[in-house]
Amino acid sequence: MIIIDKLCYTSGLRYVNTMEKFVFSMLTLLICIISKSITVSVVVLLVTGFLTVGKGGVSLSRYLKFMTIPLVFLFLSTTAILVNISHAPLDAFAIPLGSYYLTGSFYGLLKGARLIFTALAGVSCLYFLSFSTPITDILEVLKRLHVPGLIIELMLLIYRHIFIMLHTASAITNAQHSRLGNKNIRIAKKSFAAMMSAVFILSVKRGGALYNAMEARCYNGRIRVLSEERPAKYSEILFIAGFELFLVYCSRR
Amino acid sequence: MNDTILKAENLCYTYEADDRPALDGLSLELHRGKKIACMGSNGSGKSTFFLCCNGILRPDSGTVYYNNLPLDYSKKGLLNIRSKIGIVFQDPDNQLFSASVAQEISFGPMNLGFSESDTRQMVSDIMEKLGITPFAHKPVHALSGGQKKLVAIADILVMRPELIIFDEPAAALDPLHTELVHDIIGQVTKEGITVLMATHDVNYAFEWADEILVFHNGKLLDSGSPDEIFSNDTLLETASLKPPIVLSILKNPEILNTYSCKRKHTFTHSL
Repeated sequence: MIIIDKLCYTSGLRYVNTMEKFVFSMLTLLICIISKSITVSVVVLLVTGFLTVGKGGVSLSRYLKFMTIPLVFLFLSTTAILVNISHAPLDAFAIPLGSYYLTGSFYGLLKGARLIFTALAGVSCLYFLSFSTPITDILEVLKRLHVPGLIIELMLLIYRHIFIMLHTASAITNAQHSRLGNKNIRIAKKSFAAMMSAVFILSVKRGGALYNAMEARCYNGRIRVLSEERPAKYSEILFIAGFELFLVYCSRR
Repeated sequence: MNDTILKAENLCYTYEADDRPALDGLSLELHRGKKIACMGSNGSGKSTFFLCCNGILRPDSGTVYYNNLPLDYSKKGLLNIRSKIGIVFQDPDNQLFSASVAQEISFGPMNLGFSESDTRQMVSDIMEKLGITPFAHKPVHALSGGQKKLVAIADILVMRPELIIFDEPAAALDPLHTELVHDIIGQVTKEGITVLMATHDVNYAFEWADEILVFHNGKLLDSGSPDEIFSNDTLLETASLKPPIVLSILKNPEILNTYSCKRKHTFTHSL
């Protein structure tokens, strides 16, 4: 997660208009899910892969590594569709197990393959967005989509504080390890619990301090900040529109 | 020239969980356009006093006057006082709430009611002035401690307050960033902004300040010019302050010998 956060700030696509990136990834995701077509999914995988790696500048090996994360879950979950246990063998394959068969049908295989491709393509759409767009930019889009201000402000504060908390947690853990706090499992468990409660107390304190600091700058219940919009480009909008139409065309064949 | 910008009269404040008061009858005056250093050991009430200045804490008893008017604790009055007094907090991580540098700095001016285009201009001006622009595209959590400090200062400067309070601005900074921050503070005072700074750095306070306030156990122990304060040995001892190195050398030139001995020693050692 931290790696994704680092990557999006250095992405070559960071300064492309956020709404464009958001619409592109969401529309593509939607078409993938609705069509469930393998052709569409392969096209999407190739295009988003090219955009993230080629244009965004994420290294190919890192991108592939990220794509394997959902793959594990997918194989585990599609096994149920691919493989049946029954008395009668089905058409694709059948492995006899005593009086039963470990068996599957061509229809099941196709369905499983479809599911895997659609899911991978969907994940690649989300990766495209998260590898190219900092959270603060995504919050801007949510604001324009009229998501309630309270939720956006909470997301803003939580996002900033995730890193402060992680930093505090690792500092405390290091200090514990320096004093043999991980000597054996029992002590390590105890140390972990102590660290967690310390982080909790610190976060409450920090919350108070942050509120004071915000009040000192005339905070009055609403976080108003500048939006950092990048102008949309016609060529990019045209590309997105063309690509989505092409996907719809692919899915109808 | 000697007009008072802020006056505290008999301030008392006790934090809820403590039985010892953090402020215990504090009275002092800050003069407009001056460079004022606020010294005293940890827990002597400096930070509590700062929070009383802009009405974040309301003293249990006593009054804060700003421009000779007692602080107005209504919502409008508080917003008004906070637009005049800026506080740069000691730990930037407690002050910076946004992950984006530009958004972070824009928070103050937007609250003051400036338009988006004015704010944009003010933010880019201040980032240019403090040298923030080169790292402005980075997320706040990827900045170094010194860079975060600069952003925290920009947060306040962009609001153009009349009085700026720096709470230990050089705490945990490397020498380069310490100098940068000190330069900025020098520039700020040149622009006629009154600066109140908490510091433990006696050498810096001695050369920089027009006036030094010494806090002790929630009271003002003494105030005066750096010469007056640092020549008063009993005062320094009570407040656990050390005299600046320049004064110690003037008083006792023998110190220089020990220094040169040390240097000779390390020199021969390295050979």
